[in-house]
Amino acid sequence: MAKGTHTLESAGAAVARPRRAGRPRAFWIGLLLLAPAVILVLALFFYPFFYGLRLSFDPVTGGRFENYRAFFSDARERATIGNTLRLAVPATVINLAVAIPLAYRMRRRFYGRRVITGLFVIPMTLGTVLIAQGMLSFFGRKGWFNKTLELLHLTDEPLRLVHNRTGVIISLTIAEFPVVFLILLGFVSGIDPNLERAAQMLGANGWQRFRRIMLPLMIPGIATAFALSFVATFAVFPSAVMLGQPAGETRVIAIAAWQAAYERFDYSAASAIAIVMAGIEVLVLAIVLLGRSRLYRGPSSGGKG
Amino acid sequence: MTMNTPSAATSTGAPPRDRPAPRIERLQIRNLTKQFGGLAALRAFDLDVRGGEFISLLGPSGCGKTTALNCIAGLLEPDGGTIDVDGRSVVGTPPERRRFGMVFQNYALFPHLSVDRNVSFGLEMQRVPKAQMSERVDRVLDLVRLREHREKYPAQLSGGQQQRVAIARAVVTEPRLMLMDEPLSNLDAKLRLEMRTEIRRLHQELGLTTIYVTHDQEEALSLSDRVVLMDQGVIRQVGTPRDVYLEPASAYAANFLGARNLMPVRVTARDADRIEVVTPSGTALTGTSRGTLGPGDDAVAAIRPEHVVVRPQGQNGGNSAPGTVVTVEFLGQGTELGIQTVREELFIARSDDLWHPGDPVDVHLPPERLLVFPDDGGGA
Repeated sequence: MAKGTHTLESAGAAVARPRRAGRPRAFWIGLLLLAPAVILVLALFFYPFFYGLRLSFDPVTGGRFENYRAFFSDARERATIGNTLRLAVPATVINLAVAIPLAYRMRRRFYGRRVITGLFVIPMTLGTVLIAQGMLSFFGRKGWFNKTLELLHLTDEPLRLVHNRTGVIISLTIAEFPVVFLILLGFVSGIDPNLERAAQMLGANGWQRFRRIMLPLMIPGIATAFALSFVATFAVFPSAVMLGQPAGETRVIAIAAWQAAYERFDYSAASAIAIVMAGIEVLVLAIVLLGRSRLYRGPSSGGKG
Repeated sequence: MTMNTPSAATSTGAPPRDRPAPRIERLQIRNLTKQFGGLAALRAFDLDVRGGEFISLLGPSGCGKTTALNCIAGLLEPDGGTIDVDGRSVVGTPPERRRFGMVFQNYALFPHLSVDRNVSFGLEMQRVPKAQMSERVDRVLDLVRLREHREKYPAQLSGGQQQRVAIARAVVTEPRLMLMDEPLSNLDAKLRLEMRTEIRRLHQELGLTTIYVTHDQEEALSLSDRVVLMDQGVIRQVGTPRDVYLEPASAYAANFLGARNLMPVRVTARDADRIEVVTPSGTALTGTSRGTLGPGDDAVAAIRPEHVVVRPQGQNGGNSAPGTVVTVEFLGQGTELGIQTVREELFIARSDDLWHPGDPVDVHLPPERLLVFPDDGGGA
């Protein structure tokens, strides 16, 4: 019996050996195929990031943390965090508030859906500078918008829509809307339409179907859209300069970093500000993802999908 | 399914006495039509359903059965026709106010809600008080034997369990009418049989008036009080399972319900039900006429594999042809044979005897089993 077992084992090993021998080779080929991507990521992301991180702890004067201490102890510098949040959060929230119902209404295929989707996506192709230029002439004191309001006697004096926080929020909203909308549209189109029908057969009216079924299932999409829009708007720079008050209420964190680097030529301090910026973004993303996992369970498709 | 003579098939549609009283007396559908982009998906659909009845809409994909179901549910707006429940029209009433239950092919469970919350969803919509709600959910979860899984989410359940949740979710609201859209077609063969029994049991316990859509003739025959056979948006036959099985009204019905031997034939003579036909290759056969046929007419002769008699060559009688076994498929219960006659006609037969490819045999087609239909283009 023992002998038989032994024979069986050795036979099994003999059979298994060629397959095991094949595996490392496939592994190395796989790694080799990954190499270009890995090198690119290392060279273009990790190296600059860690270079900046190291640089930020190597101030021109003072101890290791001098740059961070200087940033947080200077009220004007510290205020840039609040300034940026006051732009990024409203722009992102407005986008979600508009895009969620819109994507929901467009969840089913209908004639002209692609054309409408295309129209919504146009701002993505324009770039912030072009949007800012357009807004300056459209929303300016003598722009069409205020002229029209004046003609209709809706306002006594021109509305101040540029060169302040409002202007920057409008431009960020326009620029980031396509991304938010497309993400949500993709998510909502992927939800099994039978789920809504099932809810309807169970007596749920339109609002209840949205509130109880579709909205909860859209949460992963909403979280993703929020994260991407927030990160993009938190890094705002050109619109804050062109459409805001870059010395005042729209002096965002990116402007502070730019001034450190190119007005004071203190790359180390600029790196520290950039790291602070990244830290805040990571913090907000962590909060969003935590909230998502709290609010949502299960996949968005029904049944066995 | 026992084999009886055709004359033994009578209407057995009335539900047994021990079921609870159904919630509706009668569903009456008249002249329902629906077009999709100029294509008629449903034409002149008439159907009367008695309270407590289990009706199957049976047909191949694209025959309009799901369209009919969705019109009844209210998920589709019919182009014309009436749907009355106990004499009151429901056309124009949105689905959420019809108080019908529906079970979907892909279950359509809410993935973000536990089994419990899925089942109670309909009751929440009806604003049923909390205490009563949990009692009703408990009862229905016991009914589908899922009580121990109530905290789980749909993704944690097997296909069969998911379908039981879907049924429980629809049943718990005490719908006036239960609509089922191919509820078993996503399950594997063994589970499908189990769930079929389960659906039959639930129907008997709850007395739910049910309309069940399927393309599976076995499902339709085993579950239903009556079967509605559909084709290209039109009802082809309505009858008890026994009726439609043994007395198909057309070549199409015969074909769909398992008469796999269909031959184009020409009528040569007819005497009441007894009809003489000849196949294109010249075989003269005697069959039973189904429909208005006279000498010279084109017709379709149909016979089920299990009605074809296979015997060793030499015992020649009428309605027989010599041939050779070409294929043998073991089915567990007997074998299925493909037999090629000397005139190049292929018959499929069931046999309990052991045959081998190449065996010479006689194929005998009993005249009372060989049904001859007018050529409706839907058969052969």
